[in-house]
Amino acid sequence: MPRPLADVPAGSPKAYLEGKKTRPSAGPRRLIGEPATAGDREPRGYGGKPFFCYDSARPFVNPWFKSTSMSNFTWIDGSIVGVYLLATMAAGIAVRRYVGKVEHFLVAGREMNLYLGIASLAATEFGIVTCMYTAQLGYEAGFAGATPGILYAAAMLLVGLTGFCIKPLRDAGVITIPELFQNRYGSRVRWLSGVVIVLGGLLNMGVFLRMGGDFLVQVCGLEVRHLVPMMGMLLAAVAIYTILGGMLSVLVTDFLQFIVMSAGLLIVTLLTLHNVGWSKLVETVNTHYGAGGFNPLVHPKMGIDYVVYNGVVNLAAVLTWQTIIQRLLAAKDTRTGRRIYTHTSFFFVCRFLIPAIWGIAALSIMAPDQLAGIFPEVDQVRRSLLAMPRYLSTAVPWGLMGLLVAAMLAADMSTDSAYMLTWGGVIYNDILAPFRRNWTERKGILINRAIIASIGVFLFFFGLYYDLKGDVWTYLTVTGSIYLSSMSVLLIACCYWKRANSWGAMAAIVVGAIVPITLLVLQQTDRYKPFCDEWQYVLGAMTYATAGAAMIIGSLLKPRGTVTSGAGE
Amino acid sequence: MREHWFWWLLTAAVVTWYSTVTVYVAIKGVTDIRTMLRHLGSVKSTEGES
Repeated sequence: MPRPLADVPAGSPKAYLEGKKTRPSAGPRRLIGEPATAGDREPRGYGGKPFFCYDSARPFVNPWFKSTSMSNFTWIDGSIVGVYLLATMAAGIAVRRYVGKVEHFLVAGREMNLYLGIASLAATEFGIVTCMYTAQLGYEAGFAGATPGILYAAAMLLVGLTGFCIKPLRDAGVITIPELFQNRYGSRVRWLSGVVIVLGGLLNMGVFLRMGGDFLVQVCGLEVRHLVPMMGMLLAAVAIYTILGGMLSVLVTDFLQFIVMSAGLLIVTLLTLHNVGWSKLVETVNTHYGAGGFNPLVHPKMGIDYVVYNGVVNLAAVLTWQTIIQRLLAAKDTRTGRRIYTHTSFFFVCRFLIPAIWGIAALSIMAPDQLAGIFPEVDQVRRSLLAMPRYLSTAVPWGLMGLLVAAMLAADMSTDSAYMLTWGGVIYNDILAPFRRNWTERKGILINRAIIASIGVFLFFFGLYYDLKGDVWTYLTVTGSIYLSSMSVLLIACCYWKRANSWGAMAAIVVGAIVPITLLVLQQTDRYKPFCDEWQYVLGAMTYATAGAAMIIGSLLKPRGTVTSGAGE
Repeated sequence: MREHWFWWLLTAAVVTWYSTVTVYVAIKGVTDIRTMLRHLGSVKSTEGES
């Protein structure tokens, strides 16, 4: 059970072990990050420089396994993870024999029912990357960090209840959103939409594998040099069944992964609430962030612009985020699709609040200035990202650690597989549409498999070499906005504005992509980074407004009666 | 607890709702998978015969 660092006495764990059950001698109280002393266990982790941390002085939680690692991960935990991996892979590979057509591969033959849909959507939308950035929000903003989850749930519920956009989309019987656009805006807009969706989607997904690797390395108490093999193992496990079984494998594994993931999330949350205590969590947030830690409107780094921006982004994501939409399109009918939305809506509160609580628990043990001592060679942004897994590595006891790692693997594998399949589906269905003449079903499935394998290679190298400058949530919303802004405008106009046409669509796509890409580039420069950080939410919200304005102006400028190439095909 | 009742209630709701849904979906989802695979299997065998 973790205790506040100030209460941890200095002492020798080795002496504790040899002396059987004698506790370490009481000594001066020390802070995490202080230089290690002779009595401390040899620390591991980033940099390899000796420093005092909670584990260094803590006697073994688990004396049966004399691990030298700072983590509580043991061979029993490894066995739990191994069993989970084997079961998932076996289930994912077993259903490949049902794949006979491209439609089976991309939307599971539209046979998905309500409960499988709920499991799949929840598992897909919660990955290790989600856990990392929402915990980071909790660490950096307290309970207010869970605000995007509440907005997301509200948007999901509203859209599910009203059927806004998703009803006409599902009724159209398409496989992707750009396919719907062809009837209204023509084949060029369909193709360009596909390019923008894949560009935004792949950039967005680019950090997933790296985040997953970072988390697992920290939680398992491994050294940073194990990051690359960890990323490789994660990718290989996911790619094998996704390539073989497509959406069918993804759905079946999503179901298993949902159960394992949920069990892990719930048990670790209850353990955290029990160990740290509600009062301590509230006190920690109060000490570090005051009223802003509970109310985003008075938080110095949030405010009304943050809330409005997140509200807009989340509504756009609910309408057009391809991994969510793919579950709608795989549903057996429109009513089932809408019910999946309404029934899963509250999950999005869980998705943000549960890791936020973990992040706050990490904050209660490791304050930001103490993190510098734990991760001396890691930049400030990544330190807060690593706080939560670092905390879990010592707070979760052996046995449960296996469940936690299996849960996080489940979360990550379900997300990665669904995202790889989704963007691969858009590349095949929309970007390759002009070249897809007389392709047999067999060839189509083969091409889809090759595309997914290529996406996997991209993820591996992008994750390794892209240097993340801001916090992860902002990166995800900015990259997502590359297409969310224009696609949401195109979809709303396509469904509800008869005057909308290809000129307006083209203008919205170009304008909607320019602002986020510019922001992303400027964020990499030291000169403009402060400006981008200060105005990022206003600029982000403006992207949606300007994309909408471009759609209206472009559509009104086009003379009536002009025929659009490919429209109505 | 009284000071920040909103977050306390939301946390309690999250734990309760999520536990219930996990158990319910775990049971009902198996039926969904069976039905889905049965349909796809019958479609494939029909196409194979024709």
